[in-house]
Amino acid sequence: MARAQDAHGTLRALAKYGEAILEAHLKNGNRIPDSDDNLGLIETLEHHRLVWRIGESEDLQLKKVLVQFLDHITESERRRYASAQVHILWQQLSELFQEYKEAKKRSALSDIDRLEGEIKECLADVIEDIRNATEAFATYINTGFAYITDLNLRIRENERVIERAGRLITLFESFRIPELAEQAGSDAFLKRLLLRHLPATLESSQKNLSYALNQLRKMLVRMREDQRLSRMVGAFEAHFINHRGFEPSIDHLDLRHVPDFLNTVAPFRIRGFGDIYDSSDDLELIELAAKARTVPVETEGKPVPDDVDTVSFDVAGETETEEDDPVEEAIEELIQLVVDGALGEGTILASEALASTGLGIDKADWLQAIVSEVESLPDGDQRCIEVIYHQMAHRTYPDNLMVSDLTLRHNNAG
Amino acid sequence: MSSPLFERTVTALLQERVICEVSDDELYNYLLLPANQDSVNRFLGQINRTLRQTSAHDAFVCAYLDTSDADTKDAIRHQFRDVANNLEAFVQFLRLVMMLEANDRPVLPGDKLSEGAILDRIAAAPALESKLRSLAEKKVFHTKRSDSAGQIRAVLSSLEKMGYLKPIGTSGSLYRATGRWSWLYDAMTFIQTHEGIQGSDETDSEQMRLH
Repeated sequence: MARAQDAHGTLRALAKYGEAILEAHLKNGNRIPDSDDNLGLIETLEHHRLVWRIGESEDLQLKKVLVQFLDHITESERRRYASAQVHILWQQLSELFQEYKEAKKRSALSDIDRLEGEIKECLADVIEDIRNATEAFATYINTGFAYITDLNLRIRENERVIERAGRLITLFESFRIPELAEQAGSDAFLKRLLLRHLPATLESSQKNLSYALNQLRKMLVRMREDQRLSRMVGAFEAHFINHRGFEPSIDHLDLRHVPDFLNTVAPFRIRGFGDIYDSSDDLELIELAAKARTVPVETEGKPVPDDVDTVSFDVAGETETEEDDPVEEAIEELIQLVVDGALGEGTILASEALASTGLGIDKADWLQAIVSEVESLPDGDQRCIEVIYHQMAHRTYPDNLMVSDLTLRHNNAG
Repeated sequence: MSSPLFERTVTALLQERVICEVSDDELYNYLLLPANQDSVNRFLGQINRTLRQTSAHDAFVCAYLDTSDADTKDAIRHQFRDVANNLEAFVQFLRLVMMLEANDRPVLPGDKLSEGAILDRIAAAPALESKLRSLAEKKVFHTKRSDSAGQIRAVLSSLEKMGYLKPIGTSGSLYRATGRWSWLYDAMTFIQTHEGIQGSDETDSEQMRLH
């Protein structure tokens, strides 16, 4: 009972993971990658003893019993040996025709009937096996022998498959259908098989086979080139390890024998002037010139040298926003304070006002800026402010007065 | 009448670009037509240049027609020097990728390289981590990053800058190898022949698989 339960469990596991198992068989050389995604699958297959592996780091391999079963259900085996099978069947067919001919000669009607049936069955098998044989090559092309990781083994397998395809082509060429057709007698079905189905299958199979052979040969060339490159990389690696600091010396080369594709040119830019001499380009050039006026952000604030690359012109309607000047703002605030009478009867010393702003401006400039601002006020406002100059005559030139500070106060008379 | 594709193709060729299906599929397809090759060649011929294909026939480059001029020789030497100076780093990179992919096939034009996949495999094999570290110390791939992710990113982005890889999508972590590898293999074959570097045999492949 327990044995039957185990068997049921195994079959259920095969059904559950059927897709992954089939993929491993058809595309991955019966290997199951040891990854987190396959954790459930691996555990189940290990439980049912359907996989094996040598080392912990190796991928798991499907067991032979399972592979044989998969071969059977996917007809892989039959396809793999289809070419040999076709050959055997074709021989059988020739023998059957020989017997059929003999039976007809002797007018052995029951034998004729039996042989016609056998010939039909054999012929149908031949047609099916021809199809199978050629389809197998398409599988090789699709997988690109990716299931074989070692390049040398992959090349060897490719060579073997090419050889097999070559043998199959030779076999197809050896078929003498017209000769058999002549022996088919008056049976319409047999004639249809021999004169229509078999030649059609053969023709399409030969076509597919030629294509497959061509692709396989291309693949082989590519693999051999990969192998050459791989060996070359290996050779360089070994050379660098054995000759520390090695650097290929190319200075001694006379460059007379450099392969053409290697003497690649040094880059140079192809540039020309905008055609300002052709009026048909004007519109486009004007647009380009307009865009060229943009001053890059990083150059702002830097002094513009005498010989500049581009010159900025004013554009009609263009507005430029000016940044607020903190000195100007402070002075306006100060004057507004005095004009509004916020100080009452009090006074404010310009130098003290400067100190409270924290601005790094020179005192003389500060005083000058206040005087200018006051002078630019409208008459009404100007009358509301009284400016007292702290001044003294210059020692050498007494006509010149030296202003050291200003006192500002609200003028009630204003 | 000027042709935009002709102009773009010729300009790209004269800028020392290697034109392949991955890097510039439009220009590559343009050059696949013999008539277009002729017209490009006629133009290049007048400035001592010619159109050439790499030996794997998967990329186009511009070559000098006559190399007897001293300046031309200097230019060619300069390019060879670029390859020669960085060759060890390139070989180490190729070997690393071959080990990661566990196959004997070096990077070829069209191959996909994923930063994430490389990182995963390196994380699973500490021996490869030291190879990556050594690679990140090479001048051409140099980075101050000490983590594998940063080192892989530095290597791949250096290769992108040099035109060996082209990013796929916008993630910046997936690349496709360009035809410049074909040119590099041609240059390596040339150097191997002229420097008499012995080809590795079966034992080398064996060693590599055992790493």
